[in-house]
Formats: sequence, structure tokens, C-alpha cells
Amino acid sequence: MIDEIRRVAEQYPVARSAILPALRIAQERHGGWLPPEAFEEVGEALDLTPAYCKAVASFYDMFHLEPVGRHLVELCTNVSCALVGAQQVLEAFEEELGVRPGETTEDGAVTLRTIECAGGCGWGTVVVVDHRYREPVRAEDVPGIVQELRDAD
Amino acid sequence: MSVPELVTVSVDGREVQVPKGTGLVETALAAGIEIPVFCYEPRLGPAIGACRMCLVEVEGMPPKPQAACTLTAQDGMVVKTALTSQLARNAQNATLEFILVNHPLDCPVCDKGGECPLQDLTFRFGPGRTRMTFPKRTFDKPIPISPTISLDRERCILCYRCTRFSESVAEDGELVAVNRGAQSMIATFEDEPYRGRFSGNVTELCPVGALLPTTYRFEARPWEIQTVPTVCGLCPVGCNVNVTTREGKVKRVLSRNHPDVDGGWICDKGRFAFGHLGARDRIVDPLRRQRRRGLQPAGWDEAVDEAERLLRAAQGRIVTALSGSETVEQAYGLAKLMRTGLGAHTAVLPEEISDAVDGFRLPLSAIAGAELIVVVGDDPVEERAPIVDLWLRAARRNGAEVVTTGVGGGAKACRQLAGEDDELGRRLRESDRPVLIWSGSGGAGGAHVAACAERLGFGSKPDSGVFYLPLTPNGRGVVEAWSAASDDEGPDPDPIGLLFVSGDEAASDPSVRSLAERADAVIATTMFQGSAVGWADLVLPGTSYLERDGTFVNLEGRLQRLRRAVVPPTPDELAWISQLAGRFGVEVSPYPSVVFGELSERIFGGLPYGEVGERAALRGREPTGELRAPAPAATPKGRGLRLVRYRPLFSGAAVERVPELAFQRPAAEVQLSPQDARRLRIKAGDEVDVRSNGTSRRLRARIDKGLVAGVARIADEHAEELQATVEVARA
Ligand code: SF4
Ligand code: SF4
Ligand code: FES
Repeated sequence: MIDEIRRVAEQYPVARSAILPALRIAQERHGGWLPPEAFEEVGEALDLTPAYCKAVASFYDMFHLEPVGRHLVELCTNVSCALVGAQQVLEAFEEELGVRPGETTEDGAVTLRTIECAGGCGWGTVVVVDHRYREPVRAEDVPGIVQELRDAD
Repeated sequence: MSVPELVTVSVDGREVQVPKGTGLVETALAAGIEIPVFCYEPRLGPAIGACRMCLVEVEGMPPKPQAACTLTAQDGMVVKTALTSQLARNAQNATLEFILVNHPLDCPVCDKGGECPLQDLTFRFGPGRTRMTFPKRTFDKPIPISPTISLDRERCILCYRCTRFSESVAEDGELVAVNRGAQSMIATFEDEPYRGRFSGNVTELCPVGALLPTTYRFEARPWEIQTVPTVCGLCPVGCNVNVTTREGKVKRVLSRNHPDVDGGWICDKGRFAFGHLGARDRIVDPLRRQRRRGLQPAGWDEAVDEAERLLRAAQGRIVTALSGSETVEQAYGLAKLMRTGLGAHTAVLPEEISDAVDGFRLPLSAIAGAELIVVVGDDPVEERAPIVDLWLRAARRNGAEVVTTGVGGGAKACRQLAGEDDELGRRLRESDRPVLIWSGSGGAGGAHVAACAERLGFGSKPDSGVFYLPLTPNGRGVVEAWSAASDDEGPDPDPIGLLFVSGDEAASDPSVRSLAERADAVIATTMFQGSAVGWADLVLPGTSYLERDGTFVNLEGRLQRLRRAVVPPTPDELAWISQLAGRFGVEVSPYPSVVFGELSERIFGGLPYGEVGERAALRGREPTGELRAPAPAATPKGRGLRLVRYRPLFSGAAVERVPELAFQRPAAEVQLSPQDARRLRIKAGDEVDVRSNGTSRRLRARIDKGLVAGVARIADEHAEELQATVEVARA
């Protein structure tokens, strides 16, 4: 992994500019989240302190500092999506999965999160499932999505 | 130097002229108007406009409040502060109200209370009453972010001064802000302590009581304390410090900005090592060896009598072992006693000192403006003279190139640099602002590097400079004082009748110990039991630099004033030196000012004591005689790596007695060059065995890119008995 990060860093004039792709690589390698070792590894690869890497990662929403499920369901609750029923979609997910936003189902299958605007305002409510957009999603679509994830698991 | 263009700015209707580019905060100050700030601190790099306390209205700019700290003076600028602008006043009130939204009402129990910028600015600015009736955000508090610093996150106003210091001054990257927005907080990585040579500076930068020294917790209130301006005596930088005392005890050490020496930063050794004053094994009464009963406490009269007896009995066959931590006056007094009174001219110092670099003298701050800097020698700069490392970092940020070379062979590197076809040497010759630094032992006190500079043509370049980083804090002053006392010379005594050991550093030097074994009798003056009690016949209690008046000469050759911050628990050295000298018909005053007066006539051009000054000036360049190039040193033969030992910053008699600094002591490591590590198949963090002639040490490997191949560098305390050539292998 360290070599992979260094290869990416070569494309930047200064290595530390590669911190975001580096963190993403580390997150993929560590099962979707960044444990403390990940910051040490990224730090070693880019000649940064683990503290600095963690500071950057904790700023950005797409980096997870806690373990996540095998699937990630992220739902925009900002104004455009809220106007077309994001709240109902959220409640439907809560019901289907039995978890609240920020939590992971007990079997470790799915993590549910609310996020800020994903940039799909014309097609709300935007739900991002495993980094792919579903838009628009209505409350009634939710059981199908959850079933799909369960089947894929 | 070009004269900067002056511009006229109006602040609240008052016109001022300042050099173009002056910060708006300073411009307003020039007009006699205060713009309140929290985050603004020019020493931390470009302003970041984080706190918004400095909002003002500027005509011609967008009609919204502007952060004054991010602006500079332009000609014709019209600035209105909260004094005259309703817009600015509203903005400022709102800012302060917001800053206080989550700030606890801790002032009565907060160590910052009474000297807190937030308290002060809340008193003078802002709405004066709060509308905040909601519960405030709470955190566990205080949490120790290291044994020396505690963090109270509730009090933090997120000005980012501390993290900017960590990132852009010390460049340690250990203290950061995690999360974002309202959730942001200051943190180190996981539960790691904030480890770094300069970490304590954040406690002075923090404008609230969020980062505080643990050693000052609940110790004093600002109206109970006294402040004594003096200089740190723990390394040859000689940082200017203010010592806070309360009821005759040192409570803390703060920086006292000398822009040419320290830029207002001090290291953690200088800041936190004062605890050694109250060490449990501190000697406060003289100790005299008595037959079969060992060392027994003795009265001062008895001790001085005994010292006189021992000195007489030696019949001039005396060697004086100095520490290089004596004041100039103390060293001079001792020199007069020994040399004029007893004809004993032989003195040893832990290192060689030369005045060769004085011909290339520059203030330390000039390093920050240098173009090309070459550091030669065995020791990491930050271990020997930490503030110099900060100046080097500043230089690098300003675009200078800093090259470290000649680890394990400084003399050879110097010869090479000065040679005809050395590439780096050529660039040094061509540069207008080159700097050479020798960091480590074996540099002939600076003569090697000075000779190199001479041959590189530094002599004709006023902005070039050479620095030699001595091992001892005042070795330079001590040598000057010793030689000023007499022009006579005498043979080295053999056998040694008496060894006089001055100070704990000399007492813990192995070569002094072996001299002691050859001496008929030993008088030692040390602060601590541990240092000399085992082998001296008479021990006279020593004092610390915080307890003395006098002068020190730092590595630049700057004469600086040491002031007594607290009265020592025992008469100071000059007191009994003076008494003893009297017994041998030599006049030495017990008053440092008088001693200095006499000495100054001889070596400091008659400078009066009172004019050494709170911010001492640097003497000009002093031409030195002919400089010889170093003789080729013998390269040790044999396979394996050359062992380079260094003395870590966090070591020595004072540091060892301060438990809060234990976490800063060097890890049991061996530093290897990347080349050697690869060849030996050793990775960073591996356990390795370091062997030489039958001794072996198990250490952890660290790869240091600054090291040359063929060298293994180990801190003194971990190298122990290892010999000059070592084999390193994975355990
Ligand atoms: S801890 Fe102090 S210096 Fe650091 S951000 Fe908070 S208030 Fe500023
Ligand atoms: S750098 Fe040297 S002089 Fe300055 S505080 Fe540290 S030990 Fe003292
Ligand atoms: S002082 Fe200007 S924003 Fe903080």
C-alpha cells in the first residue's frame, strides 16, 4: 500500500498534496474506514505525521474514523432533497434497517448515514449506495434497495 | 538596503505614515489605536484571519467588515475601527459574543486569569453582557497532552495559534485540529504525548487558558509574582527568558523575545528544567570527608579552612576542571585564585574553544535570511543548540538550501569543501549569504570551520557567517575569563596534587573522573549529591544559573546578563571564591558587578556592567590570526560502522532531576543512514544489536536521511561502553 501511495504522490509537485487520494487508498485497504494504523501508514508514505493525516481525514465527511458496514447508504438531507421527502426516505431506511443515521446494522451489513448535498439537487432525494448515486429515491423504493443489498451480501 | 516606501494611512481620522506593507494592526498601533486580536501573531507566518476579533471598516473595500490582521498598509487607505465605525463595532461585538458562547466561566480557577488576552479583551471590547442562556459545550478537562502541558478544550477559542506553531515554526506536525466547524478541537495523535523540543511555546501563544504548563497549575496569580529578566544557562544559545518567581521560588520560565537570538521561542529544556533547583539530592551544606565516616556535613568556616589546607598542600600542582557553565565572573574569580594566588595555570574544559569563528560573526537571526547553509559535524543541531534548528527551519521556509554533511568526519568535509573542485564549495563561494555551521565535537572549537570559511572567501562577504555550536553554555566566556586572569603559564602538574572540579557537568565527565583517580585530593563544587560525592574529599555546594548574577557569552560571542531570579539555599560560588582568594593574598570581590568591572577593562573594552543590557548587542567581527586548515584525522580502520555519540538535549544533571521531562529523554535508538540500512537489511523500527569488542546493546533502528553511510549515531546514554567501531545487525 505504501508503494501504491507513493506512486500516486509522484503525480503531485509535493508529496503531501497527495494526502486525499492516499487516505482514500488506505480507507479501501482497511475495509472502508481508517483505523489509527492507517494514519501511520499514510504518514510514512508521504513523510507526514500521523496527527496531520488524522487532522485532514477528520475534516472530510467521506473518510470514516469508525468501522462501517459492508455496504454504505448515504442520504442527502439538505434543502432540495428535504423538499421532496428526504425525511420520509430516511425514516423508511431506519425502519427497514433498524438503525439510526450513523449506525451500522448488527450483522455488520449496512451503515446508514445522512450527508450534506451530494450535488444531485435536480433529482432529489439523492441516496448514495456504495458510492453510486440512486436518484430520485422515494420512500417506497427503500425496501427494494435494502433487499438488493441483502442479496448482494 | 533600500529605504522602504512610506505610505499615509488614516485610522479613525488620525493620519500616520508607515512603510508600505506594514500590517494594519501595527499601522493602527502607530496611530495610537488598538485593534484587538487573538489569532494574529506574525511570528507564526502569514495571518490566517481565524478569530475575526480584528474586524474594521476600510473605505473603498467591499462594504463589509474586513479582518485587519490580513491587510497591509496602502497609500491613502482610510480605516475605521470600532471606535468610529458602527459597522465595525457591531461586528466586533458579535464576534466576541460568539467566541464566548462556549467559553466556560472558569476565570476564578484558571491559571491564565489576570494575564489572559480573552479576559482583557472581553473587559475592554464587546457587548459587556451575554445573551447566552443555553448549556455550553463540555469536554473532559483538563487532559494532559504531555506531562508538561495540559489542554482544556472548553476554554479553547480555536484561534489555531498552537497548531500553526506546531506546523510552521517547530514543524513537528504533532499538534493539530481534528474534525471541523463547531466540532473542531485541538488534539495530538491518539493518546500520544505532544513530544517535541519546543512544545512549551504553545502555552505562551495560547491567548486563553486552554494550553497551560502543568508545572504552573495552581501555583500563582499574576499579582503575586515577580518577573526577573535573565538568560537561559542550559545551552550555548542563551535564550532570553523571564523567570516568574513567587515567594522566592521559581515557578516558571517564559521567553523574552530577543529578535536576534531566539525570536521569542525557547526550548522545553530551558522552560521546564527549573525543577532541578529543588531536587531532592541538592547539596546545601559543605561536605567534608572524614576518616572512616565518609563525607560529613561541615560548617562554612570549617569548609573554607579545609579548602585552604588542601590548596596549600598541593603546592601549586593543581588542575582545575571547569564545566563551562560558570559565569564569566565566577570563572575569572577562580582563575585569579588559582593562577595568581597559587600559580596553578592548568585548566580543563569539556571541549576545545576557539575564537576563530569571531571573524565571521553574525547574529543567529541572520541564518533565517541566508541563501545556502552547510552544517558539518556529528551532532544533530537541535540536540546541541535547539533554537539554531528553528532558525534553520525558518531559513528553509524562506527558500534557503540547508545541507548537512560530514557526519562522522567534519574535518574531512571542511577540507573537501574548501578544495578546488568541490561542487558545494563552489556554490558557497558564489553565494552572497552563505552560512557554515559546525555542530558536534572535534571541531577544534570552531577553528576547522573558520579555516574553511576563510578559504571559501567568506572574509570579504559581510553577510556570510560561521557558527560553532559549543557543548557548554558558557564555555566561550569561561575560556575568555580564564585567560584574562593571568598571562603567566606553567607546566601541567604531574603528579596532580589537587583536582578542583567546578560544577556538575565537569563532575560527570568521565575524563575528569579519571583525572580524579590520579589526584592526591579532590575538591568539588556541585549542586547534586549524585555528581561527586563518591570521590571528592571536600564538596562545596554549587548554584544554578537561575540563582546567579553575572554574565554569559553565548555561541555568537554575545555577552549577556544573567540575573539572580531566586536566592540560592547556600552562598554562591563567588562568595567563597572571594574568601578563599583572600587567604592567598588575592583580591576577588564577592560582587559580580565589581568582578565584571575589573574583567571588562581587560577583555570587554571597559563596558560597564549596567550596559550589558536586557537585550544585549552583538560585538562586531573580530579578526583572528592566521587560520590553519585541519590536519587530516585518522579514519578508524576495520569493518563495521563508525560510532558517533552525541549528547541529547534532554540529558544532563538538571534534566535528570525533572520527572516531567522524562518522556522527552531520547529513545534507545541507533540512527543509520538509508544506505547502510538497506545493505544490512534493517528497516525503521527493527530491533538491532550493536556490538563492539565484547559489548553489545539492543537498540531500535531509526533511519535518518541526514546521515552519511558508514556511521551509526547513538545518544551518549544509550551508547554506554561501545567502542569507536561497531557492528550492527538485526536482532
Ligand atoms: S488551544 Fe489555545 S492556541 Fe490552540 S487553538 Fe485553542 S485557544 Fe488557540
Ligand atoms: S535553546 Fe538553549 S538557551 Fe534556549 S531555552 Fe533551550 S537550553 Fe536554554
Ligand atoms: S486577529 Fe484577525 S482574524 Fe484573528
